[in-house]
Formats: sequence, C-alpha cells, structure tokens
Amino acid sequence: MVSLYSEKMLNIICNDSLEEKIVCMFKKYGVSGYTILTARGEGSSGHISDMSGFDANIMVKVILPESRMQVILESIERKIKKGYHLTIYITNVEVISPEKFEKTIS
Amino acid sequence: MNLSSLLLPAVLFFALGVIARLIKSDLKFPPDLAKVLSIYLLMAIGLHGGYELAKADMAIAFQSIIWALILGFTLPIVGYLALVATRKVSPLDAAAISAHYGSVSAGTFLTAIAYLDNLSIQYETYPLIMLAVMESPAIVVGLLLAAKARHTLAAREGGGNLAGKSGEKSDLKDMLRDAFTNGSVVVLIGSMIIGAIAAPSGMESLKPFIDEIFMGVLCLFLFDMGMVAARRIGDFKQVGIVLAAFGVVMPLVGGAVGVYIGASMLDFSVGGSMLVGVLGASASYIAVPPAMRLAIPEANPSFYLTLSLGITFPFNVIIGIPLYHSMAKAMVP
Repeated sequence: MVSLYSEKMLNIICNDSLEEKIVCMFKKYGVSGYTILTARGEGSSGHISDMSGFDANIMVKVILPESRMQVILESIERKIKKGYHLTIYITNVEVISPEKFEKTIS
Repeated sequence: MNLSSLLLPAVLFFALGVIARLIKSDLKFPPDLAKVLSIYLLMAIGLHGGYELAKADMAIAFQSIIWALILGFTLPIVGYLALVATRKVSPLDAAAISAHYGSVSAGTFLTAIAYLDNLSIQYETYPLIMLAVMESPAIVVGLLLAAKARHTLAAREGGGNLAGKSGEKSDLKDMLRDAFTNGSVVVLIGSMIIGAIAAPSGMESLKPFIDEIFMGVLCLFLFDMGMVAARRIGDFKQVGIVLAAFGVVMPLVGGAVGVYIGASMLDFSVGGSMLVGVLGASASYIAVPPAMRLAIPEANPSFYLTLSLGITFPFNVIIGIPLYHSMAKAMVP
C-alpha cells in the first residue's frame, strides 16, 4: 500500500492582474511550485468572465508544508488590508511524495 | 444626425452582439478572441498610420503629441472633480473611474475610422499618434489622484495607514513602468515605427493584411464586444442613475473639448477633428482596468467596468460618433 502524507493546499481566487504580485510573493517566501488556472464566476467584485479576455480571474493552487503557510498567509492578509480582492481558502490534501514540496523555486 | 452611420456593418454587428446576449443565445466566442482581434486591429492601424506619418509634417505631429498629453492629463482631473461633486462614490472610486475617461478606447477610434471611410471623408493621420500617446497619462493621473485621496482619508481617520509608505513608492514605480509599457502601446507604437521605416515594396505585400480584411475583423471584434458590453449593461442597476449619467455626460464633454482642439488648435479637417473628439470622448477598457485593479484595489471594479464598457462604449459607437461628426462640422471653419 502506498503511504500518504498530509500537506496543506492554499487556494487563491483573484483577478489575473494580480498574478505577478502573487508569484513574486511565492518566490520571496518559498514554495516548491504553483499551478494557475483561468477562472470565472461572480462575487463581491461583480461578474468576472474570461470571455473577452479583458477581465479574467485566475485560481492559484499551491501545496506546501504547514510550517511555511503562516508567513504566506500574513503577506496575503497585508494585501487584503490594502484593498486587493482575494478569495483564500486552505484545504487538507494527501500526497505520495512529500519531498517534492520541500525544495523551493526561486 | 446621419442615419446611415447606424447602418455601418461594424455598428450593426455590435448591435447583433448585444441582441444575442439579450435573447440569451448560446453563441459564445472563444476566450481571448476580442484580445487577439484588438492586437490585429492595433497592428494594422499602426502599420498603416506609420506609413502615412513618415510622409507627414513633424511640427504638426509634435503639436498633436502635446495636445494629446494635455487632454490625457486634464480629462481625468475634470472627471474626478465631477464625480467627487456628485458625492455618489468614494474619492478612490472617483480616481479609478476618471482614469478610464482620460485614456482612450481603440475600438471606438477604429469604429470612427470605419464611419469616416464609409462616408468617404478624409482625415489626418496625426490622431493616430495621439491615440498611442493618450493610453498612458491618465493612468498616471489616476494614481496621483488615488494617492491624494488615500492621504485625505488617512488624515480623516486619524492617521490610519491604508497602505505602507515604502510599499506605495515601489508600487508607484512599477505602475509607471507598466503604464508606459502596456501591451496596446507597444503594439501600436511598434507597428507605427515598422510602418514608417519598412521598405515600400514590403508594405505593398502587407496590403491585404492591413487594408482588405481590416473592416471584416473590426466587425468580428465589435460583434464580440457587443456581447461583452451587454453583459455589463446588466450591472446598470448597481452603478445607479447618477454614475450612469456620468457615463454619457463625460464623453460629451471630452468629445466637445477634443473636437475643439482638433478644429481650432491643430487646424485639422472635419474628419481629423472628429477623431480627436472621439479620443477625448472614449474611455479605456483594455489598458486601464487591470492597471486600476493593481493601483487602486480599494475601488470597486464593477463601477469602472460597467461605465466604460456597458455605458460609454455603446453610447460612443452608436450615438457619439455621428454627434462628434456634427460638432466637427460646426466647429471647423
């Protein structure tokens, strides 16, 4: 039976204009990698559609050990206080190769 | 007003896009189509304009740039003061909205060119440089107005810090770089330079790309934009009647000022003056929204997107352009 290891997954939904800022934050505080998907939906910022390509949302997913989560959350909190619209949630995930999430990209 | 302007294929396709959305048709364009088409349109108009400008009078080109800067820097301030006076939006929302009105909409400008071509009216190519120049200054003014609004709000709240000072400074530097290197500006100015320096024989081979398919692509672009705009019209209730009125009055003011500058300051023909009017009247929906999301995150994007895309853009395409034409006819001696 394959062993499973617990990790945290941080999910961010925001406008695509914030992508550069978020990637920059990941590189500053250290993550092993991230995945970005285009997203659309409706919420406090009104209807966001990727239809025209002028105003799209993204969903950013990053898996990281719990010990490294706090510093990133603090940075996100500072951005939210500045007024940036970011929807954040954290989920518990299980991975088969935890070492993959230890090494950081720069 | 000339009714034939409304029967322009490009404008009719815009209306079709709006109708398709209103009747809830399942018609859907591939994602990013409008973005792709706008790159083509800017490239084609840039190549064409650059080729013409190489033969133009540099003194008038220089004057056009100065007037474009004046328009780009002053229109957002006028808009900001008007919006703050309505007391319907916060100063930060006012800063973000007015930045859109100082910048320009290439889609509206190209529709105006289609309108002039349709009526066989001659126009100068200088407004094209003004289009490129006017993309960015309003973003800078928007940032400055927002900085001022933040200081006022912070003072009112007893020194509450809305954004870190040092962070604000480095952000401002990044914003300024982004404002002047944004995609539309690079495509437009780059294509104009290529159009100006490329060998004429090479330009000849590009003719089908620049001229022959241009109007068809514009129709497709406006078809898509009609659907995008119609989606925004649904948010009309959210912005309220006063803001919606701003979306119509501001282009009229900007349009009148623009036509006046074209006719009296730059001595352009009716066609050229009308194009300057369109520059003054139009509100950006490509370059400015992402810049404002980054620079003024406190502002509500629904306000500026609904105003520029859902109200001002359709207003200019359908009513504004023929109206600025009439203004130009009245003002050009």
